[in-house]
Amino acid sequence: MRMNRILGTLALASLFLAPLARGQEPEPAADPKKPDDKHKTEETWFAVTGGDVYTGDGSFLRGATVLAHNGKIERIGFELDFPADTKKLDATGYRVYPGLVAISSSGLLGNSSSEFEDTIDPFSQRMILGLASGITSTGVGNSAVKLERFRIAGAVLRDRIYSTFSWSSRNPSGKQGLRDKFRATADYMREYRDWEEKVKKDKELKEPPKKGVDNAVLSVLRGDTIAKFNAGDRDDLLGIARLAQDYGFRPVIDGCQEGWTVADELGRAGAMAIVTARDRRPKDEHQVIEGGTNIQNASLLYRAGVPIAIAVQQTGVDLSGLVGRDIMGLTIEAGFAVRGGLPEAAAIASITIVPARLLGVSHRVGSIEVGKDCDLIITDGDLLHYNTFVQWAIVDGRIAYDKQKELFFAQIRPRPEPTVAVGERKLDKGESKPEAGKDEADKSGEEKPKEEKPKEEKPKEGREVGALATAPRLIAAPNRNGYRVGGKPVARLTE
Amino acid sequence: MILQTLLLSLASALPSADPQPAALPNLFAIRVGRAETITNGTLQHAVILVEGGKIVTIGEDLPVERGIPVIDRPDWVVMPGLVNAYSRLSLEGDAGEEFSPENKASDELFADSEELKDVVKYGVTTLGLYPAGNGVCGQAVAIRPLGKTNADLVLADSCYLKIVLRASSSSKRALRDGFKKADDYVEKEKKAREKWDKEQEKKKSKPTTKKEESKSEDEKKDDSKDEKKSAGPDVYVPPEADPKAQAFLDLRSGKLRALVSVQSAAEYLHFLDALGEEKISWDLRLPLQRESDLYYVLEKKAYGLEADGIGDKKARCVLEPTLTVEPGTMHVRNLPMEFARAGAKLVLIPRSESNPDHEHWLANVGEVVAAGLDRATALRAMTLEAAELLGVDKRLGSLEKEKDANLLFFSGDPLEPTSKLEAVMLEGRIVFGEVKP
Repeated sequence: MRMNRILGTLALASLFLAPLARGQEPEPAADPKKPDDKHKTEETWFAVTGGDVYTGDGSFLRGATVLAHNGKIERIGFELDFPADTKKLDATGYRVYPGLVAISSSGLLGNSSSEFEDTIDPFSQRMILGLASGITSTGVGNSAVKLERFRIAGAVLRDRIYSTFSWSSRNPSGKQGLRDKFRATADYMREYRDWEEKVKKDKELKEPPKKGVDNAVLSVLRGDTIAKFNAGDRDDLLGIARLAQDYGFRPVIDGCQEGWTVADELGRAGAMAIVTARDRRPKDEHQVIEGGTNIQNASLLYRAGVPIAIAVQQTGVDLSGLVGRDIMGLTIEAGFAVRGGLPEAAAIASITIVPARLLGVSHRVGSIEVGKDCDLIITDGDLLHYNTFVQWAIVDGRIAYDKQKELFFAQIRPRPEPTVAVGERKLDKGESKPEAGKDEADKSGEEKPKEEKPKEEKPKEGREVGALATAPRLIAAPNRNGYRVGGKPVARLTE
Repeated sequence: MILQTLLLSLASALPSADPQPAALPNLFAIRVGRAETITNGTLQHAVILVEGGKIVTIGEDLPVERGIPVIDRPDWVVMPGLVNAYSRLSLEGDAGEEFSPENKASDELFADSEELKDVVKYGVTTLGLYPAGNGVCGQAVAIRPLGKTNADLVLADSCYLKIVLRASSSSKRALRDGFKKADDYVEKEKKAREKWDKEQEKKKSKPTTKKEESKSEDEKKDDSKDEKKSAGPDVYVPPEADPKAQAFLDLRSGKLRALVSVQSAAEYLHFLDALGEEKISWDLRLPLQRESDLYYVLEKKAYGLEADGIGDKKARCVLEPTLTVEPGTMHVRNLPMEFARAGAKLVLIPRSESNPDHEHWLANVGEVVAAGLDRATALRAMTLEAAELLGVDKRLGSLEKEKDANLLFFSGDPLEPTSKLEAVMLEGRIVFGEVKP
């Protein structure tokens, strides 16, 4: 976990460095045969151009390009140069978000929740529906996995994430037992550190005894796993907060229904919460103090400094049960948290970077940053709006979902023609195939690489965005709510 | 000549399904309107000369020597007997344990079974029977459906090793364990060899003869264990392999093929994953349910797969003749056709083990042909390709000289539902219907 945090910070730092490096001449294809890449079959470049990029850390880049190399984000910015064989996706008029991270789901990749790698079904209909809902990574059981289509390798991001403990007022002896385990383990760790110092001088010294030490607790206190509790009652939440403060770990609390009543305490204890905005539970009438669920729960916890991950009520894809409360309604659930007062940016974070942190995979997924996996979703409007569709989902720099190509939502507000991915458009009847190279030259204006320059490593594609700059610029104008009526981009001319 | 007499005695041992077997002479000719030869296309006005249960010659409009009895049916169509390469007819053995590669279907055989006699009426003249079970089930046997004793039935044993692979850890582990057992044996054998070499070194240092070294391979085998016990090994005798390991050693050496059952596209990928770097010959059994997503793994390029698709591998696929739909939709797909077009080799089997499905086998294949499957591929898939899967293609599966005279006589095109199966000939004997010269 610590390592992950460090990596996360590095990735964050590189994002800030990226714009600085913009002025330099980027040479992504300058050295295609690095010694490490020898057994790699091929280099893949992928670019999403012209979209409004919401990086997921608060910044917003209008009409920017995200360039990926071998599945990792290589560069984010404007007027980027990239190799000629880059696969491009024109997202002009669309929004680009990081792929969503569902804190927990079931059945998206296979039927089993254990022995993951051997049961993955990368052709499952449920996976397509997951991607259609914008989810590109998810927690399953005690693992974090990616929604990789058409392959079974590399889907598992991380396993053994949590150590799950029970803490409930209904089981007082259990609470005491857990406390004892923490005490014994903390004592052991102290003695062990002491022994480590002393053994340098006295080699005969014996290791301290492991009596009463619980391995799950040990891994939490060492920072190898994250302590997870399922709790919702105010008393339990306070107890967990106290325990966490006593032994110096950050608990993840799943449920946390009455968290809003003790938000400050949870915030001080460094707790992290998994909440469902539309959870319903009545107040305990025996208590005078406030209780029960509150739509403001997420908002109040967030304001008290508790990182929030939004979860849905039913973690599977449910096509017949509570419509809109299964995993396909993840963004809607986050929207309900916004209704309760959670800022929009925090709501988006609660289904992207925060769950990625909770799962310990924020160095790979959860935001659009240089060095992270190129997991993006391209939507036709505001992510949290009910009218918004995911048009494309990109996983590891490959198009994993295209609304027009899958059967589920293609017929609803079909995507207008011109926005079909560049280079993938089928020729109309009677249309002749453009001569090789001519098409590219047209787009790049006069910047076609001249034949006199023989020492160019790879013919560069030219400036995709630069070419647009010479022509009147098309900018999609989302309306106030950030979506377009009828699915057709409303465009206006600017100078 | 000896062979012929042997075959004759064999043929005479065959009882017939029909109460009144039509007695045919040892040598006779057949003259029919059309013959589907499988290997040599369709012959018009075909003449087939049969002697001692084997096809002696086949051709168009061949003159028949005077005195040879001729079955003359200018309106009939003849094709080779059907081969159902994947069946459990007449077997009722319980499924063994998860990992039983040494199991043999031939141990469960039941000669004189009514079920076997029944399918002869529908034109099935060869069957491949496999052992039941999950995981690594065991080895299949190729049989003729009629015979008095089990030995009469068997055409070839250890035809393929049936493996059921599901997307689960235990299933994948079973396959890997098999190869590990083979590895263990190789290791053991290497050690035994080293030990033997060392002992030889010692002996050399002492004055001993080394005449034994020049023994041939066969003699080595003949030297039994007791010699090893008594005088110490003068000849290297490799340690005996556990039968479970032996099956996997045979897979590796190519002596045995694997027939791997996978139900979905994902399971195909899991199979390749479990197989890893092992180089074995394998065929696929793809049970087609109503909804099947196997089209995802036809070709590598279609969906950007990391592994080769079934078509790219030119794998042999055992399928039911049936049309499927894309999961969750009503989009009909003709997977047998798509597999054939992608480069895979087809083996078509009846839709189930029931008599009606055997009866309608050809008609069902006809439906798939009507929906686009190549006709010649379809006919081959029920005869020669299936025989190849069973490793008996040298002796049956097509109308060629020196092959068994397993013939089906139809009143019209075999795939036409209105055609009637008039007679079935098994190794030169009429076992169903009535045919007189």
